[in-house]
Amino acid sequence: MRSSSVGWLFLTPTFFVLFVFGVVPFLYVLVIGFTQWNSFAADPTMHFVWAENFRRLVFDEPFLRSLWLTLKFAVFAVVGEVVLGYFLAQFFMRDFPGKGFFRTLHTLPLVVAPIAVGATWRLLTVPGLGPLPYYLDRWFGYEFNIGRYPSQAFAATVVMDIWHWTPLVTLTLLAALSAMPKEPFEQAQIDGANRFQMFWHITLPLLKPAILATVFIRLMDALRTVDEVWMLTGGGPASATRYIGLYIWRVVFPKTDYGYGSAMSLLTLYLTVVMCWLLYAALVARRDLRRPE
Amino acid sequence: MSDPVETEPLDLPQPRPARQGFLPIHTNAFDRVFIAVIVFVAINLLWMRFLEASIPLTVGTVLSVILGAFIVARG
Repeated sequence: MRSSSVGWLFLTPTFFVLFVFGVVPFLYVLVIGFTQWNSFAADPTMHFVWAENFRRLVFDEPFLRSLWLTLKFAVFAVVGEVVLGYFLAQFFMRDFPGKGFFRTLHTLPLVVAPIAVGATWRLLTVPGLGPLPYYLDRWFGYEFNIGRYPSQAFAATVVMDIWHWTPLVTLTLLAALSAMPKEPFEQAQIDGANRFQMFWHITLPLLKPAILATVFIRLMDALRTVDEVWMLTGGGPASATRYIGLYIWRVVFPKTDYGYGSAMSLLTLYLTVVMCWLLYAALVARRDLRRPE
Repeated sequence: MSDPVETEPLDLPQPRPARQGFLPIHTNAFDRVFIAVIVFVAINLLWMRFLEASIPLTVGTVLSVILGAFIVARG
């Protein structure tokens, strides 16, 4: 019993910090989400309006379009990062001259601040100045202009996110690959399994926890991306890259509609939790179902 | 060879066994409350979007509470 008390004593500061910086702000947003509050309006007081903000939300077409765009962005970015990260991790598992140097070099995007990543990609892609539109036009005759074509702007944000965050996936999968036992692979080779069979029946199941953890982290990040996209496209052209984070920012800060912005934030949090839980239930919990008691 | 050190067993709470109800996964009480809350929010939002023009939201809220209770009890 004494050990438990000491354990709880050591955990108290963590719980305190979590409560102050996690639970209290969440409860505050939850309360504001059910109010109408604009501190710069003619009536700056907070009015409790029940679910009115959520009723407004489910009919707000620009918001729903932003939500759909964000989901598309998250799926493309996360799938791209996991696939590319896996191949890079396999590449870095091999021995070659300068491996340490290239591994360090490849993790450099991780240490760059998102706003700097956005600025860099803006310099790369801005027509008339950036090398990307210049060489695409010169070599392939392809007009690349993210300020004019929505699909190109969307693709640019996805590629930028992949460039920024693939190293994180690579490092996670590299750690998981390094920790894998060699025996199952040796036994599979003796049994005559080919490379695909070894990947499908051994590598992938052993990597599943690492992949799942990475997908959770990246999915949550991708759903709340703001600064990189704000710097690169500003949400445009028109509203082609106005992801949910940007939309909420516009409602909360320039429009100072705190109640409605909080409701949007809550719905985004809800969707993030649901998506992560569904992924967990589909990939992990169902496996338990098949396991005999 | 020194004598093995005697350690006091930790008084740790035992996890409650997971149960399988009608949900397609093993769940504990927290899982079922979590799923009930998720379903409650989803039903209310979808009701507001598609059904509130003809049926009041109160009906959806009551239904989602009943469904939530059913999930917690039998899920």
